[in-house]
Amino acid sequence: MASNKTQNKRLKWSLDSTRCNRLNSMNESTLPAPPAYSTSSILSNNEVAKKTDTGHLIIKKSWELALAPIKQVPMNLFIMYMAGNSISIFPIMMVGMLFMRPIQALFSLNATFKMIENSSVIGQKLVYIFGNLVNIGLALYKCQSMGLLPTHTSDWLAFVEPRIRQEYIGGGITLV
Amino acid sequence: MYTLKLSFIKYLIVASFFNVSFSLYEDQIGKFDWKLNFVGNVKYGSIDSSKRLIVATEENVLASLNLKNGQIHWRQILETAPNQIVLLYVDREIITVSGGKGTWYVRGWDLNVGSLLWEWSFYMENKQNFYWILSKDQLVNVAPVIGSHLEVTQYDVRSGRNNGKTVKISTPWVSDLSRCTTAGVYWACLSSDDSSGQLYYTDVLAPANQVHMFPVQSLIGSAPGRVEIKFLELSDSNLLLIRNNAARYIHLKPDLPHVYPYSLSPKAIAVANGDQTLLLQMILNTTTKKYQIQTIELQEGTENVFEMEYNNEAGVASVITAFCKGSACRVLIKSNDNSISLLQLPGGKASWTREEALSQVVSAEFLELPLSELDASIEHEFDSVSGDRFSTFYNRIFSQIRQLLVVLTGKQGNSNIGLVRDEFGLHKVIVVVTSVGKIYALDSITGSTVWSKYLPNVQPFLVLEHQKAPLFVQRSARYSPLAAQCVVLMKDKITGHGVMHAFDPITGEVVQDLRLPYRIEQAMLLPIEDENHLKGILILSDDNEVNVYPPSAKSIILKHSSSIFLYTANSNTKTLHGYNLHQSSNDKLRVTSTWDLNLGQAELLAVNVRPSSERIHSQGRVLADRSVLYKYVNPNLLAIATLMDDPIHKHVLSIYLVDGVTGLVVYSVAHKRVAKPIHLVHSENWLVYTYYNARFRRMEMAAVELYEGATQSNSTSFSSHAVSQLPHPETQAYIFPGLPLAMQSTLTERGITNKHIIVALSTGAVTEVPWAFLEPRGPQGTMNPEEGYIPYIPELPIPAEATINYNQTIPQVRGIEVAAARLESTCLVLVYGLDLFYTRVTPSKTFDLLKEDFDHWLIAFVLIGLTAASYITKRLASRKALKQAWK
Repeated sequence: MASNKTQNKRLKWSLDSTRCNRLNSMNESTLPAPPAYSTSSILSNNEVAKKTDTGHLIIKKSWELALAPIKQVPMNLFIMYMAGNSISIFPIMMVGMLFMRPIQALFSLNATFKMIENSSVIGQKLVYIFGNLVNIGLALYKCQSMGLLPTHTSDWLAFVEPRIRQEYIGGGITLV
Repeated sequence: MYTLKLSFIKYLIVASFFNVSFSLYEDQIGKFDWKLNFVGNVKYGSIDSSKRLIVATEENVLASLNLKNGQIHWRQILETAPNQIVLLYVDREIITVSGGKGTWYVRGWDLNVGSLLWEWSFYMENKQNFYWILSKDQLVNVAPVIGSHLEVTQYDVRSGRNNGKTVKISTPWVSDLSRCTTAGVYWACLSSDDSSGQLYYTDVLAPANQVHMFPVQSLIGSAPGRVEIKFLELSDSNLLLIRNNAARYIHLKPDLPHVYPYSLSPKAIAVANGDQTLLLQMILNTTTKKYQIQTIELQEGTENVFEMEYNNEAGVASVITAFCKGSACRVLIKSNDNSISLLQLPGGKASWTREEALSQVVSAEFLELPLSELDASIEHEFDSVSGDRFSTFYNRIFSQIRQLLVVLTGKQGNSNIGLVRDEFGLHKVIVVVTSVGKIYALDSITGSTVWSKYLPNVQPFLVLEHQKAPLFVQRSARYSPLAAQCVVLMKDKITGHGVMHAFDPITGEVVQDLRLPYRIEQAMLLPIEDENHLKGILILSDDNEVNVYPPSAKSIILKHSSSIFLYTANSNTKTLHGYNLHQSSNDKLRVTSTWDLNLGQAELLAVNVRPSSERIHSQGRVLADRSVLYKYVNPNLLAIATLMDDPIHKHVLSIYLVDGVTGLVVYSVAHKRVAKPIHLVHSENWLVYTYYNARFRRMEMAAVELYEGATQSNSTSFSSHAVSQLPHPETQAYIFPGLPLAMQSTLTERGITNKHIIVALSTGAVTEVPWAFLEPRGPQGTMNPEEGYIPYIPELPIPAEATINYNQTIPQVRGIEVAAARLESTCLVLVYGLDLFYTRVTPSKTFDLLKEDFDHWLIAFVLIGLTAASYITKRLASRKALKQAWK
């Protein structure tokens, strides 16, 4: 019961916080800072810490981005295995997705790495491209195993032109 | 159990295959096809009453024609040649005697419906000549033995009972049967063929068999000239003695023959008119060039001459029969072009004419129609390359104004309305050449005759017991201001020399009619066009001299002489010759033999080449492992079938595939214990042939396919001289449950569509057999089946759905002509025999054509409706949004 009361009180208090802030701000201008309270030093200290921390995070984040396609590979392998080699709507859709995603990713390469500004990310980009190429390779392998790639001579048979005859012949059974 | 299941699956495959690809709906009957019925070359005729005309023909057809319009009431087709109808007698029922080869059939037919009432047959030793007399329910068979006697046998005509004896009449005066005839119950002969001879005659039925003898001089006087004897049609005991094309009418009597004083033509006939006898003959008035019919009343001698409104460029051959009632007569005449006409007396009008020559087609060709004048004018806009801007502009405006006028008025200012090319190339002109020398052009949509032309005194060539008249298309109607041109080659009836007739197939206009001074050994159409897009014709005369038509094409031959080759297959000497062309010293073209092929003792049955217009789309076959087996497509390949007598196997059929340029035998196979008929179909890289297997007593159909292998030796050009290795053949044979009379493979514009083999059967059906059924798959096929693989079924099915002529029987088929429409899926087919049947077939269904029940209107309405609805809802939505915003 007692704890509840205190909570309520707190809530009340906290509810009035805006007013308090106002009061605070009012107070701030009027009241002097407590002794040994330095605003500037804390601020500068904080800034330094923040700077080193974000730089580290950005590199970490960028590597995460760069490695994402490679991390997809096992998943893709599993999807490919599950889809099977039959030619029907779902496997075709999956193969389409396998193709589309890395290609889209490659096209939006710069957009992906835009948020990581002012630091060099060439290494990450290369890894990212490599990962997507691996995915495209997987998709191609899938197409190959499904027989969708025109790699056989029979796939080009329709374009083989008829041969031009060099000799002409005429005649038949004698009419006499 | 397993085999049962397997066979059931096979059946399902076959059934589904057929149901998808063939058959016709009931409302499509007569929509794509037409059939013209004929009776053939009329031999005997009899007008029964004012309604019916009974005819018997050379084609062994007995038919009843409507006297008013000439249409067929009923038609009965008897045994085919060499059987012949030798006697036709019409009374309360029709009696025919037909036969040959020893067996004779006597039949009675119902007059009204043509059903068979009774029939009996008998066998007689194969003697050369029989004469038949029908007298008072007695059928009399007279078999003369030259210089000795007559054997006379009597039969009861209905039962065939004979009184068990053959009477022999001694007639040592019978020396030459061409000078003998029967006249009623008399047998009459002339002892010599001039006026000094004697006329003998005897009554074959009289018990005494008294022979009468009178000198010819005493009957018709003496004059120089050949005297002939002829039985006067449609009369009893009367005959004509003909000298110098003038005939005398002689009535035979037991004591003295009576000679009437009228001068008649040899083609005169006698007609019973009540109890009078009327002599009737046809005369050509030389001054007015019009036909007249002269009638003479036998007793009184009153003559009447009727002018005829009848015109025929071929000329009248004979008066077949006539029927008179009082002063009105109906006269059936036959013309030299085998057409029969019914003339009316005394009016002199021709009631109808039947073009029976169309039952004797020897060659046919489909021809493209020219563009309409309007389309042609649009095409001509681009002709003048150097034309300046203004004239081009003027041409464009002018042709568009004309287009507008056509749209507004709905008619074209065209001379040949209707005979213009349609979008899909389904409307064509079919040019047919008939054995009497009459050329017809038929409209492929309706079957009506566009024009016809009679060539006098010509006959077709006889090639392996079939009549053939080579017909070449020198120029199609594609080259618009230039008219199409065809050439037909025949031979002169008397001299046997070649006849060349060049004509425009669309209008029938004669370009040139040449009587050549030599016999034609062989002819070919040159593959190269001259500057007028005209392909020349090369004619090899019997003394191996080369003639070219038109003569200007000679320079083309000389230019391409290294690539033009000729071959001939001689069925008498049983050899094949290959020739090339070169110029001899005296500016003449000559042929030199390059190869010979001796067939030994074998009888040549057929030689077949691929149609030159055929295009092959796919150059190979895809195997199960997705590699390609390339086809061996040799355009110079000849397929030859020969049959040789063999002491052990009776007959051996040999099939050869020979390269016509080099004479190389690419493939050969022999079948033992095989008999005729043999038919060949040669197309793409395969050959299909049928033969009668005498061992198992069934028809078999065999297929041979030639493949080059996994690689092509030369992928751009084909030369017969460049032989690296022989192609490897794949073969397969099937049982065919029918008797083929003619076979042909379908032909399409680009060769993408599947191939079907069209087979005319002896039952009167024309059926389609898909090539996919016959395709030999070889060992690879059965090891790992390819896509769409049809398992081997020994007996080919002939499902009723595959019959392209549905329930219309086509008897006595002699040939099938095919042509490609401009629509890839469609192939046009003309089946000719006694009848003409035209239809179109779509071996892969009409994949490039919307179904005819396709609902254009519904689709259009739905589309328009949806578009309108989307606009309306857009408006409504924006209004609603506006209202909401105001709230």
